Amino acid sequence: MKFVRRHTAAAIAGAAALAMMATGCSSSSEQAASADNPVELTVTTFGTFGYDDLYAQYEQANPGVKVKATNIDRGANARTDAFTKLAAGSGLSDVVAIEEGWLGSIMEVSDQFVDLNEHGAGDIKDNWVDWKFKQGTDPDGRVIGYGTDIGPQGLCYNGKLFEAAGMPSDRESVAKLFGGEEATWETYFKLGEQYKAATGKAWYDQSGFVWNSMVNQMEEGYYTKDGELNVDGNSEMKAKFEMLAAGTASGLSANQTQWDWGNGKAFVDGSFATFVCPGWMLGTIKGQLESAGGGTESGWDFADVFPGGASNWGGAFLSVPKTSKHPAEAAKLAAWLTAPEQQVKQSAAANNFPSTIKAQEKLVADAAPNVVFNNAPTGVILANRAKGVVAQFKGPDDSVIQENVFGPALKMLDGGTADADKAWSEALTLLNDLVVNN
Amino acid sequence: MEGKSPMTTTLNRPAKPPAAAKPKPTFKQRLNVFDVKASPYLYIAPFFILFALVGLFPLVYTFVVSLFDWHLLKGQGDFVGLQNFTEVLHDRFFWNSLFNTVSIFLLSAIPQLAVALFLAAVLDQNLRARTFWRMSVLLPYIVTPVAVAMIFTNMFGEQYGLINNVLGNFGLDPVMWKSETLPSHVAIATMVNWRWTGYNALILLAAMQAVPRDLYESAALDGAGALRRFFSITLPSIRPTMVFVVITSTIGGLQIFTEPRLFDPATAGGSQRQFQTTVLYLWEMAFQRQNFGKASTIAWLLFLIIVLFGLINYLISRRIATADAAKPSRAARRATRHRPERTKR
Repeated sequence: MKFVRRHTAAAIAGAAALAMMATGCSSSSEQAASADNPVELTVTTFGTFGYDDLYAQYEQANPGVKVKATNIDRGANARTDAFTKLAAGSGLSDVVAIEEGWLGSIMEVSDQFVDLNEHGAGDIKDNWVDWKFKQGTDPDGRVIGYGTDIGPQGLCYNGKLFEAAGMPSDRESVAKLFGGEEATWETYFKLGEQYKAATGKAWYDQSGFVWNSMVNQMEEGYYTKDGELNVDGNSEMKAKFEMLAAGTASGLSANQTQWDWGNGKAFVDGSFATFVCPGWMLGTIKGQLESAGGGTESGWDFADVFPGGASNWGGAFLSVPKTSKHPAEAAKLAAWLTAPEQQVKQSAAANNFPSTIKAQEKLVADAAPNVVFNNAPTGVILANRAKGVVAQFKGPDDSVIQENVFGPALKMLDGGTADADKAWSEALTLLNDLVVNN
Repeated sequence: MEGKSPMTTTLNRPAKPPAAAKPKPTFKQRLNVFDVKASPYLYIAPFFILFALVGLFPLVYTFVVSLFDWHLLKGQGDFVGLQNFTEVLHDRFFWNSLFNTVSIFLLSAIPQLAVALFLAAVLDQNLRARTFWRMSVLLPYIVTPVAVAMIFTNMFGEQYGLINNVLGNFGLDPVMWKSETLPSHVAIATMVNWRWTGYNALILLAAMQAVPRDLYESAALDGAGALRRFFSITLPSIRPTMVFVVITSTIGGLQIFTEPRLFDPATAGGSQRQFQTTVLYLWEMAFQRQNFGKASTIAWLLFLIIVLFGLINYLISRRIATADAAKPSRAARRATRHRPERTKR
């Protein structure tokens, strides 16, 4: 009997030790990583983030830290991934990238994320443009995300196609052609009709992205500032929808599949001549051109103009979920990755536009030509495009409304199966089914 | 408890007159009795314990979730009773998904079984390098469905896909594989068929090989042609296996997810839900609309529908079995006239 008891005692001691180890790991008195105390940090990003070199650099500067990175192809899939793991209560990385479009959902459960104020967010808050930092702060003043990039929008256009249509093709003239600072969507669609008449080809790839740009530009989007749904009876929004529907009906849309574009072929075969480009989209186009085997000769360029004025679409944040075993180390990594110096490097790798003021200034000062876009100084242009951007309130179902409510309605327009009225009422029905009565 | 009476009779086989006094069983004897009575249950217990853990518990828990307002991120909300069920049953998208599922199922199961049956019959012949042929039909099955879906999705692209390119070369109009309902169902059914036909063919082949060869020989001697032999001997003999294949492909077909999910990765089953199957709708409900309560409701309704389909399947195949019973035995009797002892098979 004694024999048995000793074993039991040993088992209890062992279990207790394990438990202590487990709790020790997650306690707040977390030991800093060092060569003797190695820490593995997992990071999940999406799309084109441009962090690969930065991870290696961080590992070198911080012995004992190992970064294990996962990149998900698209923001929508990253959303599903993050939501699933949040619901399951485990599995989230130590650092998780969140997209502006679904930040509203995340804000509803912001208590599941570490308050970065506990890790020095207050000291660096002035790094960011004011509105970006505010977006990452929840109503209780807890900072749950450090901004990575923002999405000021410029106009991508294909110089060669413009030339073939007898339109000016250099950046300044194109900016002027669209109306410079007074550029409007009316001009955009009117030029589209001219282009269509001259070439018989489409003006934009599909209606969805144009619509996103139009909505993101409004002072209040799918939600009012107070978080009320703002679609039904919104005459300004409906007018924009009708304008877009009219353009699409006259053949200005190439009816391409978003995020697919025939594996990029649509960017090299002249299917469409313009493309709405938030900063991060430049990286997307670069990737599409690469996958289709197209290079600088494909003719894409970037003009310092945007219909309807300043617009911001997207941008991301780095957050640390409460489930992280190394919150202090994770917060340190997130702060480092989003610091101005690293944002400059990220921008060089991913073609996106930084959200910290110093990084933006650096990009402007460098005025580096972007080879993919006919040597356009994309950093300078984006900095210009960022002027006057106002952060729009994003509600909890913003990304659902964008993709599942307006997505199908706009696809009906693209496919020519509905006119403006039918598509708009379809959107309202879907809104009712998917969001209001969900 | 059910096992009690047969067990006792076995033990008491050297039946003594009941009046005789029974000696008190020793400990060892009692252990023996216990062993005989309890062991079988112990042996099958691991399956049932595992099933209870990973099958029954989730099933019940899903039902509990379906009775609540349950948000993906915010968790459990108010108890709503059967309201989720009423709402889902009034949901046009639910019925649309059910239609798509059944349509894709029919488009895949019927041609698939017919081709599998034909393949199996061919493989059952005396072929050269027969293991090679038999293994070859299984090749599509070992390719992961994701890879299959990606390749087929590429082929079925509307503007840049291989198939529409080829059609274009012949001056034919492109088929709208993704934006029209029926073409999209055909495309998805093609993926399913490509993957499962060989697998089913092998199962049917195994059943065909168990059919006694002398049946065929006798039938051939009596002048029955290949077709006649196939329909009168092969088919009736493999009926139980056919039923098995039909039921498994029904269950699989009603749960189809990967293929429609990846056919258009950007949407949950097409921009206008042209090929949104029920499981895909469930997924959209849970992870896009974040309504876990209704997603669980859909899961339960799907479960009930599968049970229903299973029952219908069972009844139909039993009817076929009894209706045909006279025919094959008559055929077999004719075929094996000279060896009546074989007719029992």
